[in-house]
Amino acid sequence: MEQEKKLTEQESLHLITMMINKAKESYHDTGIGAIMWGAVIAICSLVRLSEVHFEYKLPFDIYLLTLVAIIPQIFISIKEKKERKVKSYDDPYLDYIWLGFGICIFLLIYISNNIFGEWGSWANEYKNLTGKSASFRFSEYVAPLFLMLYGLPTFITGAACKFKPMLWGGIFCWICCIVAIYTTVKIDLLLTAASAILAWLVPGIIMEKEYRMYKKEQA
Amino acid sequence: MFKDLDPILHSQLRLAVMSLLISVKEAEFTFLKEKTNATAGNLSVQIQKLKEVGYIDVIKQFKDNYPQTICKITPIGIRAFEEYVKNLQAYLTQK
Repeated sequence: MEQEKKLTEQESLHLITMMINKAKESYHDTGIGAIMWGAVIAICSLVRLSEVHFEYKLPFDIYLLTLVAIIPQIFISIKEKKERKVKSYDDPYLDYIWLGFGICIFLLIYISNNIFGEWGSWANEYKNLTGKSASFRFSEYVAPLFLMLYGLPTFITGAACKFKPMLWGGIFCWICCIVAIYTTVKIDLLLTAASAILAWLVPGIIMEKEYRMYKKEQA
Repeated sequence: MFKDLDPILHSQLRLAVMSLLISVKEAEFTFLKEKTNATAGNLSVQIQKLKEVGYIDVIKQFKDNYPQTICKITPIGIRAFEEYVKNLQAYLTQK
């Protein structure tokens, strides 16, 4: 590009549009984080489903895998930040949204465990007094709350980055959230796995493919 | 009566740099070079000119022991760019 070439008004406008589009196209997430979390949540849900269905219990809680996944996520985030040559205005907001989402998930687990603990003792007392089991099962109402939360940052990220697979993934989480209110624990787990696959794993694979193509073009 | 187009911006490479920087929060020198297909020397001179008039901020630092130059549009730069686009549109509408 020549520095002092004088432009016509039309050429100027064309150049501005072209450069703005080039800047927009330069935002490429590696998709590795989305692939990892999609796979982790899907595996956890499906393993839990098999535990419930085949009536066995692993010696550890499979959801501990989500805590282990935080370690590679930290390394992925640091690496992605280092490699990024350009910072968009949305970057810090999206980082905070996902951080807030992570905090909300752990708070929800903590709250659910506490309520579940208390409700368990009430249910036992009810059974002792009446000889009947309580019809309300708290565990069946936990999945919709998680699915509701899964949808929020996914939907916002999809909308902010104009990345439709994630936008639709977020909407899918909310649809599953509504469905899960009326379904059994087994179906809830299946819906959670499906949401993780459609909201994170599949968009992550698409992002990774686009990122590889972009890198190839740059080389 | 039309205002004259800003001579600092009415130049191919400087306008390209400003158009890229208006769309992002900040960008590395290598990113600007890659997108504009300009030579490093040529781009450095134009970036210096934009810095001198206060349209952009240039931060020089080290990243993994390598020098890194980061460019960022300033509020003055944003106003100048908006004014330039406004004047440009006025010219085109008149034509």
